[in-house]
Amino acid sequence: MNAPTVTPGAVRRRTALVPIVRYTLRACVPPKRRLGMLVPCAGAVLFGLLALLIDDTRNVAFARIAADGIFGLIVPLAALVIGDAVLGAEIRAGTFHFTWMSPVRMWQVVVGRWIGGCLVAFVTLVPACALAAFVAGAPGAAGAAALGAAFASISYVAVFVAVGCIAKRAAVWSLAIVFLVERLLGLALTGIAQLSPTWESRAIFLAYAPDVPDTLVRDGIPQGGGAIVRLTIVTAVMLGLAIWRLPRLQLSGAAD
Amino acid sequence: MNVPPPLSVVSGEGDPAFVADATVEVRDASVWFGQKVALSEMSCSFGPGITGLLGPNGAGKTTLMRSIAGLANLKQGTVRVLGQDPRRNRGVYSGLALVPEDEAVPPGLTARQLVRYVADLHGIADRSAVDGALTTVGLLDVGDRRVDGFSKGMRQRTKVAAALVTDPQVLVLDEPLNGADPVQRGRLIELFKRLGAQGRTVIVSSHVLNEVERLAERVIVVVHGRLAAAGSQRAIRDAMDDRPRRVLVRADDWRRLAAALVHHEWVTAVALDVDAVVVSTTRAGDLALAVPRLASELGVRLREVRPLDDSLDSLFRELVR
Repeated sequence: MNAPTVTPGAVRRRTALVPIVRYTLRACVPPKRRLGMLVPCAGAVLFGLLALLIDDTRNVAFARIAADGIFGLIVPLAALVIGDAVLGAEIRAGTFHFTWMSPVRMWQVVVGRWIGGCLVAFVTLVPACALAAFVAGAPGAAGAAALGAAFASISYVAVFVAVGCIAKRAAVWSLAIVFLVERLLGLALTGIAQLSPTWESRAIFLAYAPDVPDTLVRDGIPQGGGAIVRLTIVTAVMLGLAIWRLPRLQLSGAAD
Repeated sequence: MNVPPPLSVVSGEGDPAFVADATVEVRDASVWFGQKVALSEMSCSFGPGITGLLGPNGAGKTTLMRSIAGLANLKQGTVRVLGQDPRRNRGVYSGLALVPEDEAVPPGLTARQLVRYVADLHGIADRSAVDGALTTVGLLDVGDRRVDGFSKGMRQRTKVAAALVTDPQVLVLDEPLNGADPVQRGRLIELFKRLGAQGRTVIVSSHVLNEVERLAERVIVVVHGRLAAAGSQRAIRDAMDDRPRRVLVRADDWRRLAAALVHHEWVTAVALDVDAVVVSTTRAGDLALAVPRLASELGVRLREVRPLDDSLDSLFRELVR
């Protein structure tokens, strides 16, 4: 072995976003996680097939199945797997110090991880939701499904990145947020639904999908463009929370 | 909180826990997790060269190193690395690197990709630096293999490479020799010595006394989360050697050997066993010299000479009594 050959004071890059995103795609989404992401994506397509069994017009059948099955179950689950993978899982595994112990600014770490997670969602979950519309025989709803899934992914990944910065058992807390807060409380309380990626992404889908029955549209929460703005705000707040919280993390290591 | 009583410190000139040209300073640092005290009012400093951090498993070495690295939050006290608080000033990571004990490595990455990533985060544009770091730890030829498929020793060396690529002024190594084979162990020790000789602050933890002896002249001993001893390796070794110890001696005519040993003033007790003798002594070094000499003089054939309580834990227990 030789002495280190690194030249002190080598040129320093101003932003580390690109390497962080690249690392996120390579290291945070290993083969097992990829499988975990593909299962809900396959589930979305299966829901599309299920829509074929509903005795209604194709568009209405898909709208019904997508509103509850895809946006209520598949999208949150897939986004949870992705969002937890990009930060929370790494903190639990004890490998986050490679990123943390660098002079990189925290906002770059958070945003880089979030972008990485969104990219993964855009090539897995979003096409799967669009494909589900084609499978269901409602190609006209594919764009709306993709749009809803895209904004759901953007906001959910931010939410789960923030949870990863706050809670040690991030995956458990993320599940609790999806099923207890969003699904149960969000169903009963409009105030929670207004901040919920599940309900708002559903609202985006229903606003742009063709032939949506009025009974599916929930009153009291923003629809269409309003829902997009609401999810953008949720995303920004969650990223801000993660940026504030990340430097306060206590990295105890995998052994602990 | 169950805070252990204050411990003795092996002192030489001045306060041996502190160095004049400190790059890392720990003052009254305390860390606890619920009811468990991991670090209690620890005060010490580290300067250029290698300092060994010695202590039994669970003594608080890792917590101290993680506190120095800014990964653990102090409940009380302060840590300064290169004059900065690592929890508040991320710029300190330009000159500070940690090799943690954990085996965990990012999955799906090759050794070269991992070291490249760390280099990128530190803004090191020189691409040869990555190969240089891998060469330094002897992993260049397997640099394109995935680290999650590496042995424990190779993972550890990959992490050392990832630390070295940042050209750190302060290098914190938590049990860096774990899992390394004897050849690699020797090479890593030589590497760390060279890094220390270059004027870097190298802090190496181990629960293996001999490893620290080979590495560091200055030693900090941590027991029960507290500073137990600090100073030169020789002073601490002497302190440990002077403690009473029991040694089992198995020989073909062990009765004659026991009879000869019992006359020495540093032999406090001799207990006869079925086919061996257990000698209690206050000067293990003298006993180690005397036993083969006496055996030779008496024509007794030695079969086994083994300290019965020579684990590091027992040494530490004695040191902090």
